[in-house]
Amino acid sequence: MPVLEFKNVSKIYKQGENEVQALNDVSLTVEQGEFIAVIGPSGSGKSTFLSIAGALLNPTQGEVILNGKNLHEIKPKDLAKVRLHEIGFILQTSNLVPYLNVLDQLLVVKRMAGKVTKEDKQYAIQLLQELGLGEKLKKFPEQLSGGERQRTAIARAFMNNPSIILADEPTASLDSKRAFEVVQLIAKETKLRNKAAIMVTHDERMLEYCDKVYRMEDGRLSLDETSTHKK
Amino acid sequence: MYLAIKELKHSKLRFLLIGAITVLIAWLVFILCGLGNGLTTLSAATLKNMDADYVAFEEGSRASMSRSVISETLVDDLKQQSGVEDASPVGATSLTVINESSSDNEKVDVSIIGVIPGSFLEPEIVEGKPLQKDQPLEVIANDSLKKKGYEVGDTLKIEGSLEKMKIVGFVTNETYNHLPAIFTTLDKWRSIQFAAPGSNKGVEKPVNAIVMQGENINAEKLNKEFDNIEVVTKAKAIQGVPGYKEENGTIMMMLTFLLVISAFVLGVFFYVLTLQKSNQFGVLKAIGASNRFLAKIIVSQVFLLSLTSVIIGILLTYVTALILPDEMPFALDVKLVILYSILLILISTLGSLASVRRIVKIDPLLAIGRVE
Repeated sequence: MPVLEFKNVSKIYKQGENEVQALNDVSLTVEQGEFIAVIGPSGSGKSTFLSIAGALLNPTQGEVILNGKNLHEIKPKDLAKVRLHEIGFILQTSNLVPYLNVLDQLLVVKRMAGKVTKEDKQYAIQLLQELGLGEKLKKFPEQLSGGERQRTAIARAFMNNPSIILADEPTASLDSKRAFEVVQLIAKETKLRNKAAIMVTHDERMLEYCDKVYRMEDGRLSLDETSTHKK
Repeated sequence: MYLAIKELKHSKLRFLLIGAITVLIAWLVFILCGLGNGLTTLSAATLKNMDADYVAFEEGSRASMSRSVISETLVDDLKQQSGVEDASPVGATSLTVINESSSDNEKVDVSIIGVIPGSFLEPEIVEGKPLQKDQPLEVIANDSLKKKGYEVGDTLKIEGSLEKMKIVGFVTNETYNHLPAIFTTLDKWRSIQFAAPGSNKGVEKPVNAIVMQGENINAEKLNKEFDNIEVVTKAKAIQGVPGYKEENGTIMMMLTFLLVISAFVLGVFFYVLTLQKSNQFGVLKAIGASNRFLAKIIVSQVFLLSLTSVIIGILLTYVTALILPDEMPFALDVKLVILYSILLILISTLGSLASVRRIVKIDPLLAIGRVE
């Protein structure tokens, strides 16, 4: 069973009299253990695609099926729970809570779900160690470098053992070396834990770590054969 | 609560500043509360202390002793009425006395309260002995006079009169019309109050009011039955003490404003903070935080801040009470302090609801596609 399935998904924004078609009949399946990339220029509909995949936005047409559940059928107030338990977000820079140290950034996810157990704490420390942050557990975001912050965000995304990881331009505002490191780590954790992952990016250097590359143009999604086969 | 405390600790200065403002407001609330309580005590403690339910005044006096003259003979008639368990007459006069037993001739303003010795209107003494029916010269006085050098056995001369009185005992917390009370027999009081011929308006055995006990008294029925009296509840009678309503009203108005201001100050501060943190809340919502989870952070922060401020405010108020001069009518009532603490915390926490509303409206989409 695919982890995530888009079936003929379209999204139309109404801006006064005008209609903007952000997504046009997008279909896609993502399997367990697969790391796919969606590339495209800004304004192509990448963010809309990710928002719909992340249960943050409802499509105008079509269906989104996450782990066998049709997101359309889930009540709006329960969507936060779906995001909490099924989806791991890696967002752009500055998405950490400024007043929490690295370890607490991960545990806050558990806190949203209820209690924090000893096992959770150990799991968080293990994750952070895998990502090379074992020495920085008590540091606050302002004391971390951009790369370290992004690695913390990766760890946070994996904290609740989600089915799918969604990464929104994870390499924005990082230099090449750090950017490669970050994407490499996402790929590594995805394979290690047998998750599915989607990375939205405009950074074509990062594609070598991805299993499939899709190109988004004017709301249409197509498999990018050249990038995919280069591997 | 955990996140709330983490943030308070992380942004100490920010929260200390707002905390300082709420401390000052709470401090002022408690000082006003003490002053209000002190003033009303000064103004009507004697009436408040009376173990009574209803008071009968002269018709048209609008529940004020100073405007009312009725006859003591009504007491027996009133006692006959259903619901009336006991009734006793009272009279009050303000005047100036001089202590003859003391070398310095300092004058003191007092309220002379005439009661029947041994009746339920005579307060319990804390020193000396109580009033005697056959000793018209003997009086019992409020113990605040002790601070002015008055002692048991002192003789008082009433200014502008030949009347004299002798203190035989002290009572405590008895003030009327902002003046310390001196209790005397009704006859003695009459001879002072109605010294001038004709001042009793021809009323036989005149008194100012008749105080009644009995929870089941039907005031309306009594008003109909008796031609020239009006019966009101004790609470209404207290309102009728000159200046009581006005003083109380002023203080209450200030207190109400302060409570509303404290809610606004905290409410606006946290609202602006919430606006500032919209992106942060958006990210938290995107990774799965519910509105409830985020609202709890704000509400518990406001609660913790107002609780701490109120506690510091109370401590500061008690320190202030030590410094205030004795003449200041400042009386902290623990019950009132607790009441206003709860009100302050409650109203401040209500002020955080504006932020909660804001949080509910924040769209987690803020987190996506945001390049900084």
